[in-house]
Amino acid sequence: MKKLLAIGLVLLAAATIFVGCGEGNAEPEEVTITMWTQEGESDGTFQFILDRLDEFMAANPNITVELVQKDTEALREDFQTAALAGTTPQLLWTVSDHAGPFTAANLIQPVDDFYNADDFVESVVLNGDTWGVPINSGNHLMLLYNKDIVSEAPATFEELIEFGQEFTDGENYALVYNATEPFWLAPFLGGYGGSVFAADGVTPTLDTPEMVNTLQFIADLKFEYGITPAEADYGTMDTLFKEGKAAFIINGDWSLSDYAGVLGDSLGVANMPSVPGGDIPRPFTSGKYFMVPAGVEGAEADAVQAIIDFFLTDEVQLQAVAELNRLPSSLSALQDSSITSDPILSGSAAQLATGTPMPTVVEMRANWDAMKPEMNAVLAGSKTPEQAAADMQVAAENAIEALQ
Amino acid sequence: MTLSFVLESLADVLPTIVIIAGVMVLVEIGLYFLLHRALNYKYALPFMLVAPAAIGLLLLVVTPIIFNIAIAFSDLSPMAGRWFTIEGSISWGIQPFINNIVWVFTRPILQQRTFLPVFIRTVVWTMIQVTFHVGVGFFLASLMNRPMKMRGIYRTLILFPWAIPQVIAVLAWRGEFNFEFGYFNIILRNLSLAPIQWKSDPFWNFVAINMTNIWLGVPFMSVILLGGLQSIDTSYYEAAEMDGASKWDQLRNITLPLISPVMTPAVILGVIWTFNQFNVPFFINEQELETSDILVTALYRAAFEYNRYAFAATFALVIFGILLAFTLFYMRVTGFQLQAGEEKKRLASAQAVGE
Amino acid sequence: MSDQAIPTIKAPTEFDLIKKYGFARWFFQRARGDSPAKRILIHIILIITVIIAVYPVLRIVTVSLRPGNRLLSTSLAIIPDDASFINYYNVLFNRDFFRWLWNSLLITSSTSIIGVMVASTSAYAFSRWNFPGRNPSLIFLLATQMIPGSMLMIPIYVIAARTGLINTWRGLVIAYSVSAVPFSIWILKGYYDSIPMELEQSAMVDGATRMQAFFRIILPLSTPALAIAFLFNFTQAWNDFLLARIMLQQTELYTWPLGLQSMQRQFMTQWGEFSAAALMVSVPVMIMFLTSSRWLISGLTVGSVKG
Repeated sequence: MKKLLAIGLVLLAAATIFVGCGEGNAEPEEVTITMWTQEGESDGTFQFILDRLDEFMAANPNITVELVQKDTEALREDFQTAALAGTTPQLLWTVSDHAGPFTAANLIQPVDDFYNADDFVESVVLNGDTWGVPINSGNHLMLLYNKDIVSEAPATFEELIEFGQEFTDGENYALVYNATEPFWLAPFLGGYGGSVFAADGVTPTLDTPEMVNTLQFIADLKFEYGITPAEADYGTMDTLFKEGKAAFIINGDWSLSDYAGVLGDSLGVANMPSVPGGDIPRPFTSGKYFMVPAGVEGAEADAVQAIIDFFLTDEVQLQAVAELNRLPSSLSALQDSSITSDPILSGSAAQLATGTPMPTVVEMRANWDAMKPEMNAVLAGSKTPEQAAADMQVAAENAIEALQ
Repeated sequence: MTLSFVLESLADVLPTIVIIAGVMVLVEIGLYFLLHRALNYKYALPFMLVAPAAIGLLLLVVTPIIFNIAIAFSDLSPMAGRWFTIEGSISWGIQPFINNIVWVFTRPILQQRTFLPVFIRTVVWTMIQVTFHVGVGFFLASLMNRPMKMRGIYRTLILFPWAIPQVIAVLAWRGEFNFEFGYFNIILRNLSLAPIQWKSDPFWNFVAINMTNIWLGVPFMSVILLGGLQSIDTSYYEAAEMDGASKWDQLRNITLPLISPVMTPAVILGVIWTFNQFNVPFFINEQELETSDILVTALYRAAFEYNRYAFAATFALVIFGILLAFTLFYMRVTGFQLQAGEEKKRLASAQAVGE
Repeated sequence: MSDQAIPTIKAPTEFDLIKKYGFARWFFQRARGDSPAKRILIHIILIITVIIAVYPVLRIVTVSLRPGNRLLSTSLAIIPDDASFINYYNVLFNRDFFRWLWNSLLITSSTSIIGVMVASTSAYAFSRWNFPGRNPSLIFLLATQMIPGSMLMIPIYVIAARTGLINTWRGLVIAYSVSAVPFSIWILKGYYDSIPMELEQSAMVDGATRMQAFFRIILPLSTPALAIAFLFNFTQAWNDFLLARIMLQQTELYTWPLGLQSMQRQFMTQWGEFSAAALMVSVPVMIMFLTSSRWLISGLTVGSVKG
């Protein structure tokens, strides 16, 4: 009897679902778009996208957008896996350096027809085609400071070091930055006039005097001047700055709303000061981009086009500026008074202007992975800058060979 | 969480179970008629009993392995543009396989380290871990193997590391190795000692990984060994004591031989699980030091960070081969066998019962 | 096992005994042979071990009680000064926590039931018959434990995609169902081996069929091993993240590891809520482990001792 009842229940439930499906299919123009994003919710971006999509779906009742959130690395891995099985989403909202691996395997299509490139900031161009529609611009590092500790930002690192040697006492630090990620090394390398690739854009140039100077510089900050913590990853620098134990922090535009929430008016934004014996630092710039998977066409492509158009309107772009402190990708929106008159955003924009576009070729992956352990080795005091630079170059060449 | 959602999920899962059960019943009926009725095969029943597991493993373990072997005989690598979406870009056959094998053994797996150092590190890591697991586990088990108060409480609480989901436990440990805020360094500072760079110093990072995994692995081993100790009849010890045997003699001549039927499979499993332990070396090594990679984490990075699928598939087969060789060897040496002596007798009498 | 004291109804409780003898005498009274100093030493060692075992978990409690998004702090206090349950509240009421829990529970229990059913019957065949292919199969079962898990992921995903099982709960149920079967078969086979053949024999003399004897006599006697098999199947599916991540692409289908993952970003993690949720999902597994700890010992070892 019980069994009969259970089976009956299951059949009933199954029936309701089939009926439900039937109703859904009745409308002819229905399109469902799955979009993956690597935006998180702690800075409110994920929620922002959800809200905008609700508005979008209200205006376009025939399009349903399902938003899936994935960590940056997970998005790349899972997209490649999904492509293997032919189950990719219809739209990606992701970082520029995914373009390299995705184009290498023909997983995405050029987006030249999806937007008018002249009205927007530079995008990801590989082999003559554009592969991403810029949603915002930036993703760049800048100097942030706590006005309760220092009234203004220095123009040179010499000044910062001078201040730091008085201020740093083992519990408070003059400067914190993420010493585990070469993304934080790149601006200084630019400051010393170096570049990670030769002019061809794919040959690593890591064993250079510029790189040695750069590594020597970060080693000096720790060992010679002692103004940075002995070991600091993202969580550490973030906590130190939020707790008011660090005067300056080097962090990206993604952190602005979070810090503005914690420090309020005490948050200052400035360009990174020029490095000793070098020039002003040049942070990598990129942004977030729509990428369209290969094979998206017809009604799906139309729906994707509608979503892209919606997020590229100045209205939505400026909404993102107001809520998330991210700079827009639209050139007209960039001129808006809400940016030029805001100290934080204009500071961010000023630093952006000094930046250099982050390479997106697959070889960059090898460079990142080659720089990371060597940078750490220098900071751990276990390698000289010269040795580390030489090892970086070998590691990068090995990894690139492995990628062939 | 609404009722309709609950019903929907049940409607997805329950019919699946019913269908699986239905298919199994059909298979069983088929086997019954084929093996028992038609052939009157004397092992009809055991084959029927094994069939469901065999089918499941065939679909979900054997097929993927074959898939994996097939990939090892190719040069699949999406980042290099050799992928299914690009026609004619992938070559298959013996030559790519040989290339993969040669690469595994002669060239850097990721960037700098070649196979041999990583393999040696993996062996060292496994030996350290299994030694500590068995040593500490045995020590704790023998402390608890006596009538005493609060034994149940100790035994339960010592299981804690095993009961908490592994990734969560590992993330908690990772926080404790933070230079500024981890408790190890806080304690060192309070003792006026120099704090340690757990995450960037290769040696200390390896130590950190080992500490975490010892914490994770000891509970399982001590529970198993406690069971083994409890199964030893105390009269052996009483007799030995009357003969004037020392504690050491008792340990060597009574405890160790009698506990070995429990210990041997536990050690084999311990070696396999440690050798293949992914979460601890991967997550504690936050700065991706190549000096802390063991074979499986290097495999993961090769497969997913560089997408060298063909190379990774070959590499996986090599790891699998090493473990298989070790297990067969260890079984030989320790005399842990599937069918000898008692087992043979038992099976023979079982057969007598069956027929 | 011998350590399970069997309290009868009339037996005095430990509290009665403490009252009767005083704490010190109660504490030492039952220990045999060891000197008081040695007993104290043993207790001290065990207490230190327990602290080491539990302390990292307590640190997760600390983070979960810290309001704001702070993972790190130089304070060693277990209960932070500004402790609050806001993170728990947020996880429970502002997120789909119950949905994740339900999804995980549904998938995991279905998986475990299938897994235990499949393993318990095959293990019986391995224990009682020397059928052709038995020994290679046992070696194969052991060998499956040696396959690095990440290598099977992509093939399983492709198979699931070809059969339309992506984004369904049943896809995961099927994929997980055999993952703990090899280990379960080993455990159960060892346990069955320790049950004397005569039990089935006498039942069959009384007219039961072989399978009736198995279901009525062997299975009930094997509760500890069945519990272990269930536990292993359960935790394997309960804790899986890698496979679930690629199989489930819709947020309403998420299991708890995916839900927790959604709080984690490369540079921005909601540590407070993450820890609160992590603790709450650990509770079911912990309860299962801790309540079955007496079976754990016998279920894991009896087979190998007497086999």
